[in-house]
Amino acid sequence: MKGWEMARPLRILLIEDNPADVRLTKEAFRESGCLTDLAVVEDGVEAMAFLRREGRYASAPRPDLILLDLNLPKKDGREVLAEIKSDNTLARTPVVVLTSSRADRDICRAYELGANCYVTKPIDLEQFLQVVKAVQDFWLAVVELPGE
Amino acid sequence: MSQDDRTDWQLRQANEALQAKLAKCKRELCTVRQDLEDFSYAVSHDLREPLRMVCSYLELIEKRYAHALNEEGQEFLEYATEGAERLQAMLDGLLEYSRVTTRGQRLQAVDAGTVFRRAAASLERVIRETGAVITCDPLPTVHADPDQLGTVFRNLLENSLIFRGSVSPQIHISAQQEGAEWVFTIVDNGLGIDPRFHDRVFVVFQRVHGREYGGVGMGLAICKRIIERHGGRIWIDSQAGRGAKFFFTLPAPGAETP
Repeated sequence: MKGWEMARPLRILLIEDNPADVRLTKEAFRESGCLTDLAVVEDGVEAMAFLRREGRYASAPRPDLILLDLNLPKKDGREVLAEIKSDNTLARTPVVVLTSSRADRDICRAYELGANCYVTKPIDLEQFLQVVKAVQDFWLAVVELPGE
Repeated sequence: MSQDDRTDWQLRQANEALQAKLAKCKRELCTVRQDLEDFSYAVSHDLREPLRMVCSYLELIEKRYAHALNEEGQEFLEYATEGAERLQAMLDGLLEYSRVTTRGQRLQAVDAGTVFRRAAASLERVIRETGAVITCDPLPTVHADPDQLGTVFRNLLENSLIFRGSVSPQIHISAQQEGAEWVFTIVDNGLGIDPRFHDRVFVVFQRVHGREYGGVGMGLAICKRIIERHGGRIWIDSQAGRGAKFFFTLPAPGAETP
């Protein structure tokens, strides 16, 4: 089913440790004018707890899309990606790596680990807004997402 | 042990010592390369991250609150934005500079004429806008990294186009063989550079002309690093107000330096 056909807003989990970046991503979703349900966790350990509904995340909803930064405290984004993609129930949730790194080794490694796409955050705000909008439009209106 | 045997033994000892030294140098070179690779990664990623925050939030302030600022406030915001953009351009330049050695391709036989025409085509818009006339003698095949040779041509052309005088730029490129190498010459009729500054133009972040010309002073430094990676030299012959001649050398195919 396409994201916009769901009877509820698209659920997105943002895994990002920099509060300034979290705010910027929220602003970008706000500017795009599309209703999304955005949850945020700040490190890799919290991310896995959220996705596995452990502890205080026992009633956390399953996200339709994961936005993952690579450089995270406690558990690195690459480890988070590897764990998601080797877990039968989590593996089908698309993961968008959203990072400022344009290093070949990060790009290659992310795809090897099963990232669904790799997006670099542009330095320019207008471009960043466009990138977030493009990511949102693509996952909401173009691709077919797995049902719940 | 005969005299011959002794000489033979000494020779072998000396050879082994030399081999060991060579292996040590190679290991050290590997470490240096790795350090440089790590450095360029730090520049491209770690320094960019906080800068992205500065740039993005300055833009957000401008977008949402510029109308609430008085003239002075807007001026301050403009200076902050200019500084951030400049830092960004400097980081880009530094990254490109460090990648000359870490990301270079294998040197191969390259038709310099084709590479030059492609470099000129990439500047088509500014060539049209400035009314520049670019002429080119037949250029040889050289032993080079094609992309990097393109960067050298492009940076030198850009340099002549940016530092043009009050008349339309005229730029001519030629090449002459001297022994095992080719000497390329790019002549322009632009602003020229006082001989006092000739050494400085090839140094990272050094600019001779004022801020109004833009740029962060990396173009010629990158050219120098590329040419040196090819075992060549680059230099300038110019007087202020009388145009500039840039020269660089590249090995002819079959005469490559190791």
